[in-house]
Amino acid sequence: MAAVTQKTKKKRTFGEWARSRDGQKVFVMVAFMILPLLLLFTFTYLPFAEMFGFSFYKMKYIGERKFIGLDNYIKVFQRDDCFGALKLSLYYMVGSVVQLALSLYLATVLSFKVKGGNIFKGFMFFPYLINGIAIGFIFKFFYTRGFVFDTVLQWCGFELENLPYWLKDQSINNISLVGTSVWRYFGQNMVLFIGAIMSVDSELYEAAMLDGANKLQQFRYIILPSIKTIITLNVILSITGSLSAFEPPYVITSGANGTGTYFVIMHEIAHTQQKVGLASAMAIVLLLIIIAATILQKLFFKYVFKSAEDEDLNATAKRDKKLAKLAQRKAGR
Amino acid sequence: MKLRKVLALTLAAAMTFSLVGCGSSDDSAATTEETTTEDAAAEEAPAEDAEEAPAEDAAAEGGLTYGSITLGEDYTDITTTIKWIHHKTDREEDGTIANMIAEFNKVYPNITVETEGVTDYAEDSLLRLSTGDWGDIMFIPAVDAAELSTYFVPYGTVEEMDQYINFADQWKDAEGNCYGIGYMGNAQGLLYNKAVFEAAGVTELPKTPDELIAALQAIKDNTDAIPLYTNYAAGWTMGGQWDAFLGAITTGDETWLNQKFVHTAEPFADNGDGTGAYALYKILYDAVAQGLIEDDYTTTDWEGCKAMINNGEIGCMVLGSWAIAQMKAAGENPDDIGYMPFPITVNGQQYTTAGPDYCYGINVNASDDNKAAAMVFVKWMVEESGWCDFEGGYPISKTAPTSFVFEGVNVVTNVTSLEGEEDFMNEMNSESELSFNAGGDAKVQAIVEAAATGSKTYDEIMAEWTEAWNAAQEACGIEVLY
Repeated sequence: MAAVTQKTKKKRTFGEWARSRDGQKVFVMVAFMILPLLLLFTFTYLPFAEMFGFSFYKMKYIGERKFIGLDNYIKVFQRDDCFGALKLSLYYMVGSVVQLALSLYLATVLSFKVKGGNIFKGFMFFPYLINGIAIGFIFKFFYTRGFVFDTVLQWCGFELENLPYWLKDQSINNISLVGTSVWRYFGQNMVLFIGAIMSVDSELYEAAMLDGANKLQQFRYIILPSIKTIITLNVILSITGSLSAFEPPYVITSGANGTGTYFVIMHEIAHTQQKVGLASAMAIVLLLIIIAATILQKLFFKYVFKSAEDEDLNATAKRDKKLAKLAQRKAGR
Repeated sequence: MKLRKVLALTLAAAMTFSLVGCGSSDDSAATTEETTTEDAAAEEAPAEDAEEAPAEDAAAEGGLTYGSITLGEDYTDITTTIKWIHHKTDREEDGTIANMIAEFNKVYPNITVETEGVTDYAEDSLLRLSTGDWGDIMFIPAVDAAELSTYFVPYGTVEEMDQYINFADQWKDAEGNCYGIGYMGNAQGLLYNKAVFEAAGVTELPKTPDELIAALQAIKDNTDAIPLYTNYAAGWTMGGQWDAFLGAITTGDETWLNQKFVHTAEPFADNGDGTGAYALYKILYDAVAQGLIEDDYTTTDWEGCKAMINNGEIGCMVLGSWAIAQMKAAGENPDDIGYMPFPITVNGQQYTTAGPDYCYGINVNASDDNKAAAMVFVKWMVEESGWCDFEGGYPISKTAPTSFVFEGVNVVTNVTSLEGEEDFMNEMNSESELSFNAGGDAKVQAIVEAAATGSKTYDEIMAEWTEAWNAAQEACGIEVLY
């Protein structure tokens, strides 16, 4: 960069240029950029590129590698366990919908004046702060026959004989695992939603109240459009998260008993079976699936929220328009 | 790649220099003047400490062997720090390892031993090994025999090592060098509670699968104990323990596991007489199907089971002899813990195999001083520390005192693979994804699941295994001979 500048501005020597404002600007820019970029490259892009390379080889962690072209990718699509595991993601996706609905509901309630609101926020956010592995161990005991969960249910009048085995029964063990993930993440979603809702101009509520809008209408016409960006973001994160669910099944059931998600299977193939190439190919395929899912969601939300895309620029104008519409409708009634 | 190597080298160099610094200041305080000067010489030119003893001479020149070391006499002049990574986190925590090192330092005060207990050893150690940054001594993880010389120092030839230790051929390369020495041996059998068996009216130990199932049934009928605790949830307690009976115990043939298995067309076929791999895993399937295991296998608790068997809440568990010490220590009834040969009888004879647990391996890239110090330490651990016996293990050293008693059975060792076929088992394990004796827990867990839910019959599972095995034989180009 320095050399180029030297050529174009022949009058100044390099030393002068370096001391000048322009030169200093460039130095500062480079100095600030180089470290994060280097870290990003070394720890994200370089390993990723290596993994992409691995996916074309038949290889173990150590020992010789053999180039086999696309064979690994073909195997990913041929094997039952790889895509069979993706079916489990449906459980997690349904869970994430429940989780988002729950957190949106609680966020809306808590963003109005509620007694002890901050305490509730704290309690509900707390699970997110616990380490995922610890949560796994907590729930292992939680679901153990006759332990915490069964005891609580017995207080509520259930008989132990009528209760299912939460982790043993293959028809519900995935639901149990999804429950732990919902429990862990809904608080975090809720806090994000509360943050977004807080940014809504409170005059809008007053205006709406004057016009006789009830709480549900306030939510539908004021809150929801105002926080759609953050909703979109949370949905995308949740769906991506459900495709790559790992911690609950890995720690609680170690992926056994029909709870092995795509990630757990991948881990097993890479580390126990030592088929590193195949596992790398699985990772790439999952990445493509996630990208596809993200694009689909983007399109979906574009459709749902239609023209409201450029909210940041003329949000107030649009809100006014909406309020006017609302008022019109009221008047018309 | 290059950048990484340079970084690693720089780090390693920096660490080595700092260690050398520590070592020399320590030893000048601890030893006499004479040795200090010798030390200095040794440090500067480790390959040339020629004039001392002839044996050491050869050793320093690259002829370092296990047999040539006389503990307490050789290499007392080395001052260095060696690092040992191991999987015995429990012994790290309870101070056993620190005590042994303290004992070692009474003989070799100048060799400082640093240790690191690694929790997820089987996986982490492989990663550490491939980065090269792991220290001087490690317990050898699952590496191919052909790779041994890339990573580890040979202790001597297997033939020579046979004089000193059991299982010298566990880690040998094509040239017949021995690269690993076990820290203890494991004999394979069934861990049981004597009091529970007595209360159930089982007076004679079962010798066949049918007798075992009958005994378990008797425990269920006559006591409150869980007849067979699977330890399903822990994972390693399934594959790691059940697979260990493959080979001589189930077939009576010492060559089966490492020489014939990979070449067998139908290793999981029903022999009809309660022997073979078929009979082995069928015990588990039958026990689960007949409700002879714990109520909820998905939430078994490994730490909790130790106290349970000690207190007579469990009839038996499938675990190697290494577990005896832990079970005895877990409660007030150590004398109730018993260990019996595995109930499979081949032609009227019961067999048990004994083999080494993890084996000490020495880093081939360490400095000559560290190699020598590491080998001295390994020899001391094997011959003098008494660790093996402390753990209740089958003896490794042929001369160290032992208290292991296992009567009435034929103790054999599964013969190692044929020359040139050392990697076949690893390849087959990886290709078939059954991973026998190599972390293949999922397949044994699947047996429990199938038996509990009735989703598959035992014969269907065995047919699947056979199919995977045959496909792998084809993919690896391994001839079917049996």
